Amino acid sequence: MRHVEEVMGTVVSIELADDLPESRLRSLADETCAWLHEVDARFSTYKDDSEVCRFRRGDLRLEDCSADLRLVLDRCADLWRDTGGYFDAYAGGQLDPSGYVKGWSVEVASRRLAAAGSHRHYIGAGGDIRMRGSGPGGRPWRVGVRHPWEADKLAWVLNITDGAVATSGTYERGAHVWNPVSGAPATGLRSVTVVGPDLAVADAWATAALAMGEPGLTWLAKRAAEGYESAAVTDDGRAFTSPGLPVAG
Amino acid sequence: MRRSTAAAVGTLTGAALILGVRLSVQPAAVPVSSAQADSAAEEPEIDAAGAEETTAPGSAKKPSGKKTTAPAGDDAEEDGLKAGTFKGKAVQHTYGTVQVTIKVAGGKVTSANATYPTEGFSGTINPNAVKSLNASALKAQSADVDAVSGATLTTGAYKSSLQAALDKAGA
Repeated sequence: MRHVEEVMGTVVSIELADDLPESRLRSLADETCAWLHEVDARFSTYKDDSEVCRFRRGDLRLEDCSADLRLVLDRCADLWRDTGGYFDAYAGGQLDPSGYVKGWSVEVASRRLAAAGSHRHYIGAGGDIRMRGSGPGGRPWRVGVRHPWEADKLAWVLNITDGAVATSGTYERGAHVWNPVSGAPATGLRSVTVVGPDLAVADAWATAALAMGEPGLTWLAKRAAEGYESAAVTDDGRAFTSPGLPVAG
Repeated sequence: MRRSTAAAVGTLTGAALILGVRLSVQPAAVPVSSAQADSAAEEPEIDAAGAEETTAPGSAKKPSGKKTTAPAGDDAEEDGLKAGTFKGKAVQHTYGTVQVTIKVAGGKVTSANATYPTEGFSGTINPNAVKSLNASALKAQSADVDAVSGATLTTGAYKSSLQAALDKAGA
């Protein structure tokens, strides 16, 4: 069953491939959407009464924040350190953990689906996808990576059973992807895709590598040791893939 | 040369390196997936990844990736996609309007096309690079997919995406 939901400022696609009654699948999709809307209400930087906004205004002390928000803040700090400052939740001057929250909330959603009996599904949010179990017909899920210049074409097709794929690119927002270290627009890479066990990490690393530019290729290569494979395309059309990338065919 | 390089480097196991492939020099019909294994050995141009070591993972990977044709027609069974033509919404970007259309037959995506702006877009494109990426992409695209990963953060970007067209077909 496929469900599409507008939430968190993006569009979430939910595919439930389990052999369960339609009514059960429907309620699983509903519960997933309810969680994502809850995340939006609590973590949106556009909602004045969200926990994130109250915290960054100083209305809420760190020790009074929810366990979820404290976890998000911890992870953002870890990622800032792991990426040499290229993933920066404070890049815009004030706290904006959205770059972590989206992937994290989908991870949690997928975990909750599994606990509720869905062992074969994917949740895609704004082009970042978490897959669990096998896809249609019991084969791996086939995930296309968007061509960095043409919206209707694919640069790669990946075979994935249990795992996450995140893509960051300059093609959507043009020059508005910033290198938080230099304060200049990110240049050098057109598109970065990271594949690994955790969507929030894959997403943050793809964003960080994109901000790094070509040095990001070397940085990405080292992430394979941590279980994250990658593919990247430079501004001048050179394509790079890590040796373990699960390319189909 | 190729073999000896691979042999010399064969002991450097665990070297986590990215393979560099300049797609613009690939023959037009070679899919990216096999091109990356083959050409890494022949293609001397490898930046940012460490020139001599890059050959090793490429050669090592080759035997495992020998299925050359994309699995386009071998499992035409269920994917739950409805037959027909599905148009994404025309979306205004800073560089113009993009609209994606896919065609579905027998539960599979048989073609995908998009209209593109003809003005104001060329400045960001390297024609050679795009041409060769296209060739690989078209090949890859013939393999039906369940989902599409891309930088489509905004709802506007989603509406013009392949994922949106897939969602329409699967709904």
